Amino acid sequence: MSVAGAATVGSGHRERLRHWWLRRLAASMEHPLPQRRLFLIPTRFGLGWAVLVVVLLLFGINYQNSLAYGLAFWLFSVGVVVLLRGWLNLLGVTPALRLPREAFAGGEARLGVVLRARRDRTALELRCDGARGRVDIVEGLGETRLALSTPRRGVQVLPWLRVETRWPLGLVRVVAWVRHDSELLVWPHPVEEDDVVAPQGGTGLEAVDFAGLRRFQLGDSPGRVAWKQWSRTGVLATKVFSIPPRQQLWLDYEACRGDPERRLSVLCARVLAHHRAGDRYGLRLPGVTLAQGEGDAQRRRALDALARFSATRPAGVA
Amino acid sequence: MSISRPARLVAPAVLADGRGLSGGMLRQLFIGQCLVLALHLAWMPAWLVGLALLVAGYRLVQLRRGLPRAGILLRLAAVGGLLLALWLQFGTLGTMDGLVGLLLGVYLLKLLETHDRRDARVVVVIGLVATTVAFLHDQGIPMAAGALLAVAWLLQSLVWLAGATGLRQAWRETVWLLVLSAPLMIVLFVIFPRLGPLWSMPQMDRASTGLTDEISPGDIAELSRSDARAFRASFEGREPAPDERYWRVYTLSHFDGIRWSRATPEQLAATLERPVDAFVREAARSPWQSQEGARFSAELLLEPDSRPWRPTLGTPLASGERQRYLADGTLEGLTPLSSRSLMNLSSSGAPPTSPPAAGERWHRLLPESANPRTRALAERLWRESGGDPDVYLEAMMARFGEAPYRYTLSPPRLVGEHRVDDFLFDSQAGYCTYYASAAAVMARMAGIPARVVAGFLGGERNPDGHFTVRDYDAHAWVEVWRDDAWRRLDPTAVIAPERIEQGARAVDDGAEAFLADARFSPLRMREVGWANRMRLEWERLEYQWQRAVIGYQRESRRSMMAQLVGWWREAWDRLDALLPGRGALSTTLGLMAVLVVAGGLALLARRGWRHRRRQRDPQWLVGNLQSWLARHRLAARPGESPATHLRRIAPQAGPAGRALEECAQDLERLTYAPLEEAERHQRRRRLASRVAEVRRRLGRPGR
Repeated sequence: MSVAGAATVGSGHRERLRHWWLRRLAASMEHPLPQRRLFLIPTRFGLGWAVLVVVLLLFGINYQNSLAYGLAFWLFSVGVVVLLRGWLNLLGVTPALRLPREAFAGGEARLGVVLRARRDRTALELRCDGARGRVDIVEGLGETRLALSTPRRGVQVLPWLRVETRWPLGLVRVVAWVRHDSELLVWPHPVEEDDVVAPQGGTGLEAVDFAGLRRFQLGDSPGRVAWKQWSRTGVLATKVFSIPPRQQLWLDYEACRGDPERRLSVLCARVLAHHRAGDRYGLRLPGVTLAQGEGDAQRRRALDALARFSATRPAGVA
Repeated sequence: MSISRPARLVAPAVLADGRGLSGGMLRQLFIGQCLVLALHLAWMPAWLVGLALLVAGYRLVQLRRGLPRAGILLRLAAVGGLLLALWLQFGTLGTMDGLVGLLLGVYLLKLLETHDRRDARVVVVIGLVATTVAFLHDQGIPMAAGALLAVAWLLQSLVWLAGATGLRQAWRETVWLLVLSAPLMIVLFVIFPRLGPLWSMPQMDRASTGLTDEISPGDIAELSRSDARAFRASFEGREPAPDERYWRVYTLSHFDGIRWSRATPEQLAATLERPVDAFVREAARSPWQSQEGARFSAELLLEPDSRPWRPTLGTPLASGERQRYLADGTLEGLTPLSSRSLMNLSSSGAPPTSPPAAGERWHRLLPESANPRTRALAERLWRESGGDPDVYLEAMMARFGEAPYRYTLSPPRLVGEHRVDDFLFDSQAGYCTYYASAAAVMARMAGIPARVVAGFLGGERNPDGHFTVRDYDAHAWVEVWRDDAWRRLDPTAVIAPERIEQGARAVDDGAEAFLADARFSPLRMREVGWANRMRLEWERLEYQWQRAVIGYQRESRRSMMAQLVGWWREAWDRLDALLPGRGALSTTLGLMAVLVVAGGLALLARRGWRHRRRQRDPQWLVGNLQSWLARHRLAARPGESPATHLRRIAPQAGPAGRALEECAQDLERLTYAPLEEAERHQRRRRLASRVAEVRRRLGRPGR
């Protein structure tokens, strides 16, 4: 027990040190990567290359062979030029993030990364939280999406973006860490209830009652154009149907069963279902009440509230 | 739903899983193997090509059919087969040829188990090592060019592995790498100190100088069939005339009745029971000969040879490095030559004056019973000359000049026990060895110390002044000890003076044997003027390459560095004299100022170039115009396209209205219409002039 405790303290300390160190190393988002934040790290192949050069040089010395000397020196010089080419490949790249619009727990979020630069760049590799991607900047712009796994509901702090390149020979890795404070709000994983309540207002959701005609406007569905009317009068008109009153309902945390996470998951699934059905709904969580509303904004508000809800609050125990 | 790897960005070298190699990459590696193998092919067994094709074919079938990877058994069997084949080829794996074969075989077989990026890089690295090993065979210009091609290809493979997405891009990057790194390579090559070998390595066994330890009639005729180069030389000061070009290589002092053979210093020491250093000494200058007679100072570029012989024009006197000076007036190196190397030599151009170290008696030894008819002839001549050795030798030489003897490169074969008799009285046809052998035997029969010297006579003079001596210049002649010096007797000069003046090709008799083994030799085209000029030009280039690059070892580096330091001093002094202030500080400052100004000019030129290039871009032109308009309170509205913007403000622009309309139209045509290049060019120019016009008219005050 004590050993484990010591280990966590030690690793925490190390973690802090690493964090402090990385903060000194990192570049910032939306700015061209500066010279002082690019790091050249030889790869294993690069070390192998150094050994190769030494072997060829020894070969040249022992056989007094001028061409072997020449090739050894050339490969060495190529190694030096590779440092420059790799460094120039990353210098001045401007990284930017595009956060995913929605992310559910237990799934994947697609984090967009946009890299801009004046010159073309090749084979830039991106890493963020275990996700990898590869970008080439062509005509000033390159983008890709990283598939981040979102295991848990709530605010997910994204680790720093690592941009690196092994171009052109793979001898050396040029690395930049990019600092940012973006965070990802992960919505709960939607879970359908076991005893599904009959779909609320399954009937009457379709707008079926004919209510009259109005003048055709651009964008009206061709299915709703009164073609008969047109053939008779030559005037395009659109049929208008009356929409039945939608359901008005409250989604209540207290009314769900199970542990808090499960309740939130069920509520999430219901929000999605009611949004699809076009209902007006409100959300009651312990300590949080969201007024009734509809549409995309309401859906986003409700899901955000579910994501931010802190289940450990004692108010949750009713 | 996972889109971790958008299809467009997959590097062609690597499969979509990010690990496995694509078929295209394997083809890249295979072509690289072929290029590297081609460098070795002239010296290595040809079945290696079959091995390469076999392995590549196996991988192809495996990829096409989706078969599983080569198992451990197959790979072990392949390596075993390779070892067996090499053993059958060379008899052992310990020689350098065997080791090189092993390296190449492993390089080719590695393709069997090349599955991911790391494996592919290992293959490329082995390829680079194999390319270097090819320099053991040869270091000429063709080899260097081939190696450059192979290295470029291998680097290009690495660029693919690092994620290139197109052929153009991969080659462009490769060429950039090679070009940018070349200056540093050259600097390192020049200034890196040249060390002696750190430890001994297995050496290639290559005999290129065609001379052998023994001469029996027949050997040198073999050499006349070959055009291989023996060595090259360039002279400082006087060049030898054609009849002075006697290159001594070694002497033959032991005759067994049939053939002349060489007695090495060690053999002589053992036979005569005297210390070895009575016959050979290691030194920088000759201990046997006074240094006064130095007449020729030459720089020799020697071909690799597993024997340590060094040809010298006359008697060797001094050399830049330590050598073994033999008492018979010949020279040996301390080690055999594994590659071409340079040697400085000053020599006398004449036979040695040192007395025979083995004693005069040793040079009179003859088997008693051999060649009775020759002995009778010698006795008769001796009697006729009245016991005067000089008169006797003259009579002997004159006899060779008489009619029945002829000089031919393809004489009848002699197989009898008394070969000198057979030659002198029956066949009476032969070349240098026959006559030298007979002359030496006859001299010894009269009690005159004599030996046969093997070496080269002649050499082709290139217009740039260097001499090339080839195998067919091999020659043998006689030295006799008279009046406290060795005297050269060359019977060939009596029988076939054209051989001395013009070389072996001038001999008409038996000319079909000349260059018989070099059927496609450019030397056969000597009579065709342009071909001969091209050949000489190529040889000059090759000689310069060998001297300047391949021979760039300790000695030449030292002189080169001294020269560079001298140039630097001179340039510095000139700069010092040029600048107003005196002293190191002001000169340094002046130099820095020049550099800064040059750098600034280069930057300005680059900016101007970029600006010019951008000005041809219609989008840039119009964008520039728009921001100019924005400063004049005619900014575009949000969301408005450039053409719409220009058209909108055209009515208010008064005199510039027409130009604005035309700008908008040209921009749209250039952006969207598929135009011919000529029209595109014309419209671009018109757009530029219209943009300028808009600025001119709108910018005028009081519009």
